[in-house]
Amino acid sequence: MIWVRKLLAIDRRIIFLLVAVGVTVPLLFPVNLPITVTPRVQAAYDAIEALPPGSKVLVSMDYEPDIMAELLPMSVAVLRHCFRKHLQVIAMTLYPAGTGLGERALREASKAEGAVRNRDFVWLGYKSGFQVVMIGIGENLRGMYPVDFYGTPLDSIPILRGVNSYRQMAMVINLSGSSATDYWIQFAQGRFHAPLVVGCTAVMATDYYPYLSSKQLLGLIGGMKGAAEYERLIDTFGDARRGMDAQSMVHLIIVLLVVVGNAALFISKRSGAGGAAGAGAGGAGTGEPGPGGAAR
Amino acid sequence: MTQALDTRWFDPARWNVLIGILFFAAFLAVNIIRARSGSNLYVRPIAGLEALDEAIGRATEMGRSVLYVPGLSDMTEVGTFAAITILYRLAQRVAEMGCDLDVPCYDPVVMTVLDGAVREAYSKAGRPDAFRPGSVHYVSAQQFAYVAAVNGYMLRERPAANIYMGSFYAESLLLAETGALTGAIQIAGTDKVTQLPFFVCACDYTLLGEELFAASAYLGKEPIQLATIIAQDWAKALAAAAVVLALALATAGHTGLTTWLKIG
Amino acid sequence: MRRGPLLVTFLTGIAVAALFFIPNYKAQAVNSKLLEWTLVVYAFALILGSVSLWNSHARKVKNRSPGWGFSLVTLVSLLVITTLGIWKGVEEKSPVGQIYNTVNSPLASTMFALLAFVIASAAFRAFRARSLEATLLLATAVVMMIGRVSIGEVISHHLPGITEWLLDVPNLAAKRAIAIGVGLGAVSTALKIILGIEQSYLGKS
Repeated sequence: MIWVRKLLAIDRRIIFLLVAVGVTVPLLFPVNLPITVTPRVQAAYDAIEALPPGSKVLVSMDYEPDIMAELLPMSVAVLRHCFRKHLQVIAMTLYPAGTGLGERALREASKAEGAVRNRDFVWLGYKSGFQVVMIGIGENLRGMYPVDFYGTPLDSIPILRGVNSYRQMAMVINLSGSSATDYWIQFAQGRFHAPLVVGCTAVMATDYYPYLSSKQLLGLIGGMKGAAEYERLIDTFGDARRGMDAQSMVHLIIVLLVVVGNAALFISKRSGAGGAAGAGAGGAGTGEPGPGGAAR
Repeated sequence: MTQALDTRWFDPARWNVLIGILFFAAFLAVNIIRARSGSNLYVRPIAGLEALDEAIGRATEMGRSVLYVPGLSDMTEVGTFAAITILYRLAQRVAEMGCDLDVPCYDPVVMTVLDGAVREAYSKAGRPDAFRPGSVHYVSAQQFAYVAAVNGYMLRERPAANIYMGSFYAESLLLAETGALTGAIQIAGTDKVTQLPFFVCACDYTLLGEELFAASAYLGKEPIQLATIIAQDWAKALAAAAVVLALALATAGHTGLTTWLKIG
Repeated sequence: MRRGPLLVTFLTGIAVAALFFIPNYKAQAVNSKLLEWTLVVYAFALILGSVSLWNSHARKVKNRSPGWGFSLVTLVSLLVITTLGIWKGVEEKSPVGQIYNTVNSPLASTMFALLAFVIASAAFRAFRARSLEATLLLATAVVMMIGRVSIGEVISHHLPGITEWLLDVPNLAAKRAIAIGVGLGAVSTALKIILGIEQSYLGKS
């Protein structure tokens, strides 16, 4: 059963190649698989939809280029929804490399919905220090941001007239791939009681489910799937929906690999080659089961 | 525009937290008294920590180093403190056995603290001369630059044991999978629940959540340290009882306790 | 010798913990100030980091250790970026800004993108039906992987609902249990540090 042993100890570069093909082909030849909207994303949409036109919404896009594949399409979709609803967006970022991405999201969304800077939105840009900024906005927005990203004093921006803290904002929307979200929950929601909607990477999403149950979050958009659901809700076809075909294909490849690996393990056990093959495939070199046991 | 300034000196919505902390402190005091009076405090074996000696022994036999990754957080994270305390114990064993230790750091303040702790550990083990200056070193405060550097080190130097302890984020699997590729024995522990599955998949042993915080006391075996683990267990029993009671009362239509338990 | 640091830790720890319960604006102003100080301390700490980075790589270059060429690249990059930053600033349009956007950001994105590949490789090795628990984990993983993406809807319209239930009920129950343990462990560690029971961060058992 040499082939079984070889299959169990397959060169990971072959797996990498399969994944690369699985990502590339659907992006080149899209199938447009259907998207089901989950309750958490629907709740986020409904919360924004329920705001009256003219409401001020703080949108903090706290991410850098490494996770833009998940969060940029999400930002564009959420901003487009805000502009379509004639909400007035106060946008910012807590990451230095997020300035270019935040500007890009605003540019794309405003162009698509005909929104105008300083009339429909304002871009505050980057400010360092998570907690300091969040508390600063709660106490005195102008103290934290005397001018916007382009150097315009906040007092001379029409949509910021009368706005100086969370109290004058109908909602805070945090789109993040880091612990910034924890701080927004702790400070903007916990301390200043601002209604909060969160968008985050897929791997982070389940961390925030308890906050939805406790109503500390009004809605949660998780990863590219969440962004694709949001695009469907606002009836657009953006990068997230395009990316879902590739994501589906890669998941399918991983499932097939797992099935093939288990079939090979089953065959090797029946032919009495289980030990050697199992140790070889263990990869970590000890051949011992870990305490997570099952997972190894 | 001006808001009413809050002049209260206590937030009544946080009584629950204060009472919880006072209970915890009381449990701690009782168990410290028990420990000082010579009571036998039992702590169940933790496989990942038992394996640390095996990992260091293996590195010594093979003439290779032990790589210790202290997580990607700063001194404001309790997980980082756990990483520091574990390294202090681990460095003593490393010094005793005489193998090499490498600690790449993400945060400069953490690096300074770790450097002091490792020097002291070598002295305590009676091998101050064996401490290699530069074994605790700064790499980068950028997540993926740090990963690239540590992965490169793993592939070039092939450490025999990789120990990951502290707060980890998206880099957890990138590090652990590269370590698995090099054939090193891998032990991980993190307080970041989201990253636990990745470590469980790619490492030989994983400390789950609170085991990370218990590790220092477990390795040190000092009675007062062990008392803190027992206090933690008592607090957990209290939390479980509160949850069950709140659930029963809520089912019976009394939501007072559920509301009170919410943190304002 | 260590009484000083222990006293500072004790007083600061108690003060910051107390500030959590005090909403008074004066107390919160102190809290904000403390947070600002943290930022300042960290800015200075970066100098320590840079010195360590320099020493560590300079040693490798000097000793011609394996891979010393990479160390040389690191040293040159450190010098060039620092000089450009001081000379031309670090704004978006400055040379440092341009290097950050055109070199650093794509490299970081590439590293993150590697996750897709290593997840596939790790899943292949990890998900083996060696025991009942492992088989349960394997089955759940397969349902989740298929049910969380669009193709799950095509295969069966029940799959998304099943995955939602798995996430909402068993997953959340386990996560909450671990999170409660982590929270209590964190409180325990914090108390040990504030009360001086744990001193290894000062290099003492």
